[in-house]
Amino acid sequence: MTVGSLEFLALLLLASALFSLVPTLRLRRAFLAVCSAGFLWTLIPNVASWIALAMFILSGYAVAKLLRKWPSLALLWAYLVILLAAFLVLKKYSFLGFFPVLLSIPITIVGLSYMLFRQIHVLVDSMQGEAKHLTLWDYCNYQLNLFTLSAGPIQRFQDFQQSWAQLTPIPVGLYELSKTWLRILIGVIKIAAIGAGFLFAYTKSYSRLIEIGSGHPTLFVVLPWFIALFYLYPLYIYANFSGYCDIVIGGAALLGISLPENFIKPYLSRNVIDFWTRFHRTLGFWIRDYLFTPLYKVVAEQDPATAKSYAFGCYFIAFILAGVWHGSTSNFAVYGLIHGFGASATKLWETYLVRTRGRPYLKEYLQIRWVRVVAIAVTLHFYAFSILFFPGPLDKCLAPIRILVRALKP
Amino acid sequence: MDNLCELQEVFHEVFDDDTIVLKGTTTAAEVGGWDSLTHINLIVAIEKRFKIKFATAEIARLKNDDQNVGTLLGLISLKLER
Repeated sequence: MTVGSLEFLALLLLASALFSLVPTLRLRRAFLAVCSAGFLWTLIPNVASWIALAMFILSGYAVAKLLRKWPSLALLWAYLVILLAAFLVLKKYSFLGFFPVLLSIPITIVGLSYMLFRQIHVLVDSMQGEAKHLTLWDYCNYQLNLFTLSAGPIQRFQDFQQSWAQLTPIPVGLYELSKTWLRILIGVIKIAAIGAGFLFAYTKSYSRLIEIGSGHPTLFVVLPWFIALFYLYPLYIYANFSGYCDIVIGGAALLGISLPENFIKPYLSRNVIDFWTRFHRTLGFWIRDYLFTPLYKVVAEQDPATAKSYAFGCYFIAFILAGVWHGSTSNFAVYGLIHGFGASATKLWETYLVRTRGRPYLKEYLQIRWVRVVAIAVTLHFYAFSILFFPGPLDKCLAPIRILVRALKP
Repeated sequence: MDNLCELQEVFHEVFDDDTIVLKGTTTAAEVGGWDSLTHINLIVAIEKRFKIKFATAEIARLKNDDQNVGTLLGLISLKLER
């Protein structure tokens, strides 16, 4: 069953109606747990996958409890190494092709990437005393909640606890309820009609471009198809993923869980750093808080005066790791690398302006209307270029670029 | 010297600006150059000056729009009491 499917929506309607009739907190928690377990049941294909999932979550919980009692960076790192190794094997990363036996393990766990990030966040926060009152029941419900199981938004454990403590439907009254269902309906339209339309057009454009590219086409013939797929994929990604988030945020609210917003006008971002606070923003904040900040903090603790010049390295490391997290093939590393470059370029430009014109000018500069328009256009096109490396293995992603470059040659 | 004065000195060092006058209501938007990198530099300087440690989640929360120097001071006081 997928989010946005007719079965999911029908069951959501039924579950939300029943949920409002459940009288006590304990029963409402049990009700939500049964819904999550039922959803999970449709996604886990075999016993081996169930065992792997149980080991993944139980080990995380056990180590989090240990870290809470005996905070130890060595224990955290030792477990993270094992956890990441297990993650690479379970996600069947392509570089493991040297060990074919690892790629043939019949285990599939939907949403493992998201579980990994939630797990790391709980481990770090437990060690630092920020994830309090962690029980196995709460943790399993947090990790396996049907609304955040397979994709974003990445909810923080503390925010889950707040909802879990009351678990009453968030929309109160007919107006709020209608608004929530309208949001879910808009999400369905975004996925099933708008997103699907963009994906169809993208696939057609891609196929046509590859077909044309097998001959010796001129730039005049290649360019329209390249432009089409250049813009269509970002449109598809936005419609599909923001639609998905509309459904899960709305659905979760009906069952008492408040999820963070994941998209705030991302294609109006004025630079790459701004982009990641608007597009899949819970991932952007996770990268900032659990990858970039700890990395940069270590550098700043050594030598605060020169730390900023090392920030670029931190951007690259954080974004490449985030890119690789997206999928098991090398194209995602390229995607992360491009965003690391974009974030570094943003900071370099800001630093240049402050050095040459002073900080007050930067404030003025950011308020100039034409600068804003140009910055938004540049960021949008930068993102559209980066997402060329998203749809599949590197060869598939590079094919349209190769055809365009060939057509550019006289 | 109270915590606010001491914090102000840290701000002067990190932002290289002796004219900064802190109030409890001062926000990141009101201090020129308080970006994500300077925020971490500031945290590191505060940790050194007050001999305290911030958790990852606390550093993240301090970036929220509803946070100001008052909440930062409150957190510092809480850690000093411990």
